[in-house]
Amino acid sequence: MKVLLKLVSAVAVIVAAASVTFFAQLAVPGDRATVLMNLQTGQDRKWTDAELAPLNAQFGFKDPIIVQYLHYVGGLFRGDLGTSYTQKRPVTEVIGGQLLPSLTLTVSALAVAWVLAIAGTLLTARRGRILSGLGAAWEALTASLPHYWVGVVLLVVFAVQLRMFPIIGGTSAWGSVLPVLTLAIPLAGFLGQVTRDEFEQVMAQPFVTTARTRGMSDFGVRLRHVLRHAVLPAITLSGWALGALVAGAVIAENIFGRPGIGQVLVTAVNTRDVPTVSGIVLVVAAIYVVANLLVDLAYAIVDPRLGASR
Amino acid sequence: MTRRLPSAGTLVALLVVVLIAIAALTPGLLTGRGPTEIDLHATLLAPSWAHPFGTDDAGRDLLTRVIYGARQSMGIGLGATGVAFAIALVLGFAAGLAGGVVDTAITRVLEVAFAFPALLLALLVISVRGPSVATVIAAVGIGSAPGYARMVRGQVLAVRQAGYIEAAAALGHSRLAVVRRHLFPNAVRPLVAVATLGVGQSVVWASGLSFLGLGVAPPDSEWGALLDAGRVHITTSWWLEILPGVVIVLVALAVTTLGRNLQHLLGGAAR
Amino acid sequence: MTRRFRVALATAAVLASGSLAACGGAVAEAGGAPQTGGTIVYGHVQEPPCIFGGWIQQAYISRQVLDGLVALADDDTVQPWLATSWTVSPDRLKYTFTLKDGVKFTDGTPVDAEAVAWNFDLWENHGGNSTAKVSIDPYYKSATAVDATHVDINLNKPFPPLLRLITQGYFGIQSPTAFKSRSTQENCEKPIGSGGFTVKEWKHGQEVVLAKNPAYTSWPATAKHQGPAIVDEVRWKFVADGVSRYASLSTGESNVVYEVPTVNWKDAQSRYQTIRYITPGKPVSFYINTKTGPFTDKLVRQAFAYGADRKAAVEAGFHGVIPYEGNPAVSQATPGYNVKAAKAYAYDPAKAEQLLDQAGWAKGADGVRAKGGQPLTVKLVYGAGFIFTQEGATVLQVLQEQWKKIGFDVKLIPATQAELWGGKYSDPSTFDATPSYWTSPSPSILWIVWRPSVPDNPNGSNRSFYNNDNLSTVIQQANAEPDEAKANALYGQAQQIIQDDAAGIGLYTQNSTYAVARNLKNVWLEKSQGEPVFSDAYFTK
Repeated sequence: MKVLLKLVSAVAVIVAAASVTFFAQLAVPGDRATVLMNLQTGQDRKWTDAELAPLNAQFGFKDPIIVQYLHYVGGLFRGDLGTSYTQKRPVTEVIGGQLLPSLTLTVSALAVAWVLAIAGTLLTARRGRILSGLGAAWEALTASLPHYWVGVVLLVVFAVQLRMFPIIGGTSAWGSVLPVLTLAIPLAGFLGQVTRDEFEQVMAQPFVTTARTRGMSDFGVRLRHVLRHAVLPAITLSGWALGALVAGAVIAENIFGRPGIGQVLVTAVNTRDVPTVSGIVLVVAAIYVVANLLVDLAYAIVDPRLGASR
Repeated sequence: MTRRLPSAGTLVALLVVVLIAIAALTPGLLTGRGPTEIDLHATLLAPSWAHPFGTDDAGRDLLTRVIYGARQSMGIGLGATGVAFAIALVLGFAAGLAGGVVDTAITRVLEVAFAFPALLLALLVISVRGPSVATVIAAVGIGSAPGYARMVRGQVLAVRQAGYIEAAAALGHSRLAVVRRHLFPNAVRPLVAVATLGVGQSVVWASGLSFLGLGVAPPDSEWGALLDAGRVHITTSWWLEILPGVVIVLVALAVTTLGRNLQHLLGGAAR
Repeated sequence: MTRRFRVALATAAVLASGSLAACGGAVAEAGGAPQTGGTIVYGHVQEPPCIFGGWIQQAYISRQVLDGLVALADDDTVQPWLATSWTVSPDRLKYTFTLKDGVKFTDGTPVDAEAVAWNFDLWENHGGNSTAKVSIDPYYKSATAVDATHVDINLNKPFPPLLRLITQGYFGIQSPTAFKSRSTQENCEKPIGSGGFTVKEWKHGQEVVLAKNPAYTSWPATAKHQGPAIVDEVRWKFVADGVSRYASLSTGESNVVYEVPTVNWKDAQSRYQTIRYITPGKPVSFYINTKTGPFTDKLVRQAFAYGADRKAAVEAGFHGVIPYEGNPAVSQATPGYNVKAAKAYAYDPAKAEQLLDQAGWAKGADGVRAKGGQPLTVKLVYGAGFIFTQEGATVLQVLQEQWKKIGFDVKLIPATQAELWGGKYSDPSTFDATPSYWTSPSPSILWIVWRPSVPDNPNGSNRSFYNNDNLSTVIQQANAEPDEAKANALYGQAQQIIQDDAAGIGLYTQNSTYAVARNLKNVWLEKSQGEPVFSDAYFTK
């Protein structure tokens, strides 16, 4: 029953998300048919109603808003995300082809960021002033790096000058190393800092001392007891991090010439391709719902105290 | 927990923050030139005594542009974090304390908010209102808020479950006193660190928007815009891309270090 | 085969060395041990929404796949392509094209008169290509197939520029059979033509893979060799970042790149073969709002033109790679270019100040001029990112500074694609000056841009809102004039009128730059729009 309720609410969230996008896109200034016409001809000018008539008829721009909305939401339940205004293909196709590279990029980046953050924390937190200080300084440094600065520097140093990696990597594994690092390094710094702070606080708590007096090794204590508590804020932030990674993905995809949703999204917003934008939002919304569930589960596992309240 | 004495690092951070504050408030104190003064005979000069950061392709002194850019960049960073913080505190505390229907409702709203890629939200806001400093602040702030709100809520819940809140209540302290003296500091404590990190993040984020051409309008020299303009010169005039980036990193570092010291101070009081 | 090939090469070499036009045409170094086969990796910038359409980004790629009726040679003459010859009726209302025999689309159907007529009808009457349509309206009347190899293009009024205009990629011929029997999506992604390549695959966001058409028989008279493409494939990649794109040449990840960042141009010239193409048509020049705002006064317009050193700004911003263009109406690569008109309004701040004083704008305490309580504010709207690059934006910033000195308060307003093309700035109240361009191989572009806008026939392209009947008459006369010298004289007169009235202010010309790896020969740009041609290219060892 609880599971069913969660599912229903998940669907409601998705519909709500799509509705917001739909209406928000309508609020963007400019006439949609004009934009499309201009895009198709590469000119910027006003067109007469007669010139815009075929487009208006094709996409129903002149229908009452409520009709357009219902038509749109209805289509969602049929698995039809509409047809891209600009690419003349079903939105599912537009997104589908680009979804995998972006997902690979963002998930890999998140994973790598986690590994770096945890390693940094485990190895350097509370290990004396110098090591601690260095670790903290490194995290602070990397968290402050703008994505594209990292990307451009990595590109120029490792791809152009040293030729260790391809410049136009596409979706190959080797060509993905630099884009993943571009996203992972700043995020690792951010996650690391948050984790480290919690880690150091928890290390000072009584139960840690108790474990130590019972003969547990320092590393064992860190790993088995402290880490579980310390990663809580970072887990929460991971949900948010995925969203930030989408932003970073646009930049990384741009610098490294990599296909992906980010690029599609920016182009679609720029050309007011409502179906594509909404489609992407929905897909991401669905991903978030799943991520949400996972975060809830992670909380319950890591901190049993919270399990009861859920 | 032992209280730390101000270290050398902290002092340097303080110095940097003070410098940036001066740059933001009274840039004229740090440089005699104007940020838009062009000199077509002095374009693309490497860093030198006369131009410590070199010049750009219109002959403008880069250091001056960075100094004048401080106001906008820091304004965006602080403003956006402030907006996000405010939203997060309200939502997070309401959800965590009230529980029940309020909690469920707010969690659902957060879920919907989460459903939007932060970038899309920013793009939407910007495409409706046009690129400007205020728009970028609102966009970055609204985009960051859900993450913080979730954290606040999580922390409030965790602290509520912890033993000592019940203990304090059992000792006869009023609910409001418990909230004020125990719940609030403990829930907010990790947030301070995150918020100060967030300032740096917001500055970086805003520069990302500039990269996409959606940041502030030229010829304003917001740091992100400088990085965007410098990108194509990276192999021929490296200072245009590297130095503003170094400034961003230094400022974010400094703000973070100070923020962490703040956190330690707060942490001490709560114990 | 080898000997014929070598002869073809030698001919190509002779043709090539003779065809280096002054305005930067093609570079074709024949020589080196040629190889057949191979894959050209080409780094382009902008991915188009469909292969064929009315945007120049589409013409670039559609030309690889579709042939045209005629082609424009480097010396500005119209040469045979799908049409081997043509005649014009004495009243100049009918053009009869004789089509090359035996040419087939890659789906096997014949390229006959019916097919050609169908294509014209598609563009004109069914929204197939609105740029093609607007180029030849209102002169075009109909296209009819006389017999299998003869097609008539019928006009309403004489229009000598017609031949030159239909050399553009917008007039590429597709297979009607394929178009009618396939879905919109297929036609968008893989149009069927008779060209040197076919679309093999389109990996969105990454590249379009073009495969050689081994049955190619319809190369233009301007081709550098006779026969189908020498390479097997062209991988047309989309690499938006200039740093990456240019760097990919140095690592060998690409063989040709488009849009060399101007800062790298000198480096490119020393390491690779470079081509610079100056686009004919309307250059990137300012539309000046003559209807509302401060520029309704001619003196103020002229002061604006004198008041900033546009030449120096352009040279600084583009590091000398993109030329300054003083003529707001047509660029220096356009036939009929009025050189004298281009020299007007050389930088003269003293004169500008004098004109503004004369017009009654007095300098205020803050340096900004005012008149009747109104400050001299200029809203300068420009397409950020997609029309104006970073470098272009720098040019505008330099100008802004200079205009400030003489009392103009210029507000730079970057507009996104959605805003600009959504019509946010189409109303005269929203801007005072806006820079933009039009590509066209003929000065007849003047009609499209400067046709007066009247209520029952508005002209959305006339962004200066400049209705000058004298100008209109001159342009129409020029468009109808069969003698080229006389026509050019009339076009020149039109340019002078525009310049005298400062209805537009010149800035720079649209440009295409290419860098080609040294081991790839015979990559050249066709003349009408600067599209790259790969069907003659080959690798050398």
